[in-house]
Amino acid sequence: MKHKSLMRPRKSGYLFIAPYVVLLGAVGIYPAGYVVYMALMSLTAHFTGLDNFIDATHNSEFVPAFENIIKFLGIWLTVLVVFVVSLSLMLHSLNERVGAAFRFVLYLPAALAGSASVMLWLFMLQPGKSPWGFVLSWLGYHTLGDSLAPAHLPVIFALIAFWSGAGSWIVVMHGALATIPEEVVESARLDGAGAWRTAVNIKLPLIKKWIAYMVIGAFAAGSQLFAEPQLISEATGGIANQAWSPNQLAIFLAFRYDYFNYAAAISVDLLVVAVVCAAVILLRTGLFDVGH
Amino acid sequence: MLSHTNSAARRSATGQVVTYVLLALFAAFFAVPIVWLVFEATGVHLGMIGGNLGLWLSNSAIYSAAGAAIAIATCLPAGYAIATHEFPGRRPLLILTMLVMLIPTSALVLPLFLEANEVHQLTSPLAVIVPYGLFPFGVYLSYLYFHTERFNVLFQTARSDGCDEWQVFRNIAVPLSKPVAALIVFLNIVASWTNFFLPWVMYWSNDTTNRYPLPLGIALQLFNGETSGEYLGVVQLHTSSPPSAIAFLLLATIAPVVVVFVLARRWIGSGHFQGVFR
Repeated sequence: MKHKSLMRPRKSGYLFIAPYVVLLGAVGIYPAGYVVYMALMSLTAHFTGLDNFIDATHNSEFVPAFENIIKFLGIWLTVLVVFVVSLSLMLHSLNERVGAAFRFVLYLPAALAGSASVMLWLFMLQPGKSPWGFVLSWLGYHTLGDSLAPAHLPVIFALIAFWSGAGSWIVVMHGALATIPEEVVESARLDGAGAWRTAVNIKLPLIKKWIAYMVIGAFAAGSQLFAEPQLISEATGGIANQAWSPNQLAIFLAFRYDYFNYAAAISVDLLVVAVVCAAVILLRTGLFDVGH
Repeated sequence: MLSHTNSAARRSATGQVVTYVLLALFAAFFAVPIVWLVFEATGVHLGMIGGNLGLWLSNSAIYSAAGAAIAIATCLPAGYAIATHEFPGRRPLLILTMLVMLIPTSALVLPLFLEANEVHQLTSPLAVIVPYGLFPFGVYLSYLYFHTERFNVLFQTARSDGCDEWQVFRNIAVPLSKPVAALIVFLNIVASWTNFFLPWVMYWSNDTTNRYPLPLGIALQLFNGETSGEYLGVVQLHTSSPPSAIAFLLLATIAPVVVVFVLARRWIGSGHFQGVFR
């Protein structure tokens, strides 16, 4: 094994990685470094240390934006874990053809991620237009304003995110469940375990790592929420205000007031959350082959 | 004994029914909005769409195709080299690649905006195409694909038969890469086709309407000059095109993804995503 790896070519590797490394530098590493630089500088390009970070927290929208995102994340992650895991286990107990058909239906909304899913759900929440009208009227909502009451927004964003995002995670869980050897499931069955006990006691512990990956990954992605509150804000003239989520606040400060340095500071806050999550997934879940 | 078996069988039959009922409810939750779109879109005339559908579609197609071309041209050789070559910096590059692939792309949108602003490319198509081309997940997929004993032996044999490094890659690795290449192209196209945040930040703020891809065209439908600020009075959605036209726009968004999905599936095989993880 040792001598084999020594026989591998060396220098030519640099030529093959060069285009990718240039790209990674240009639109990955450089912008990340540049935003950190911006966050540490004043408007007049003087080094100000952490002043921008502190000043940004004094903005009246800062704390509400983070409160909003935490409420959303709490609901979104709970819904995601409970339903993706139970749906995946249920689908895994079906035969392969039926399971594949279900997964396709559940994956399809991923094609409408972003503004399309928000637009669609605005119709789904519109009494008189929505095919779910009976649910809306049962809840006592008679106008779009009723459906979109500010207190409902974290739930609605979680609903949209679940609708367009759950399918991808179900596909990932399918891949995870497919790695469980047939004999393990078979021997559980011979020991008299029913479908329910097999799912909970055998399969669930075997996909724990993937569930952890999903939770951390969805937390990182969810903390970036932008399209949903932005478009609902546009559609309704401000039910969700223009700085409902931290990312919106950063954009708002940059575009409306040209406070690029405050915007950069908030962007760095979010980037740090994302990098920490990525590092935890990489180093703690043991899911990824880090090249021995 | 017999009664025990019977009750177990009954229990599992009940379990099956419960499973199917729950699955049917979820399938309805996911499918009904899309079925609604199809019904809503019937009877639409293209003239009903406020805006320039052709332009949005062609912009979306250009950005996604160009992004996927950059992605495949960078991911395949990089993953191949990390899997089969031994060079200083190989492992740090792999770890950095995985770190970046696990960071949501939206975390880099504002940084990319500041960069594009700095280099005066804010209104250029390159402002979205080049970021779409960066696809570390594709490098990782390509690395996993080539990182097998079987392939390494094959490449080694070709080298001892006198192939130079480029020939090994071009004539052996590339033809073998079809399944993983299809998967990379598919995942990359879906990601860029549905991306809203990046083009919004690049083109919305400075009204570069001729650069809008489809997701921005959809967002544009929400602008109608009637936003009053008095949200409690919002009785219904006001859009600049009728609902049937919007339903058609949304179907136009989903259609290419389904087509690419079906095409890619043939190359990838049914077990796609399997083996993505260890």
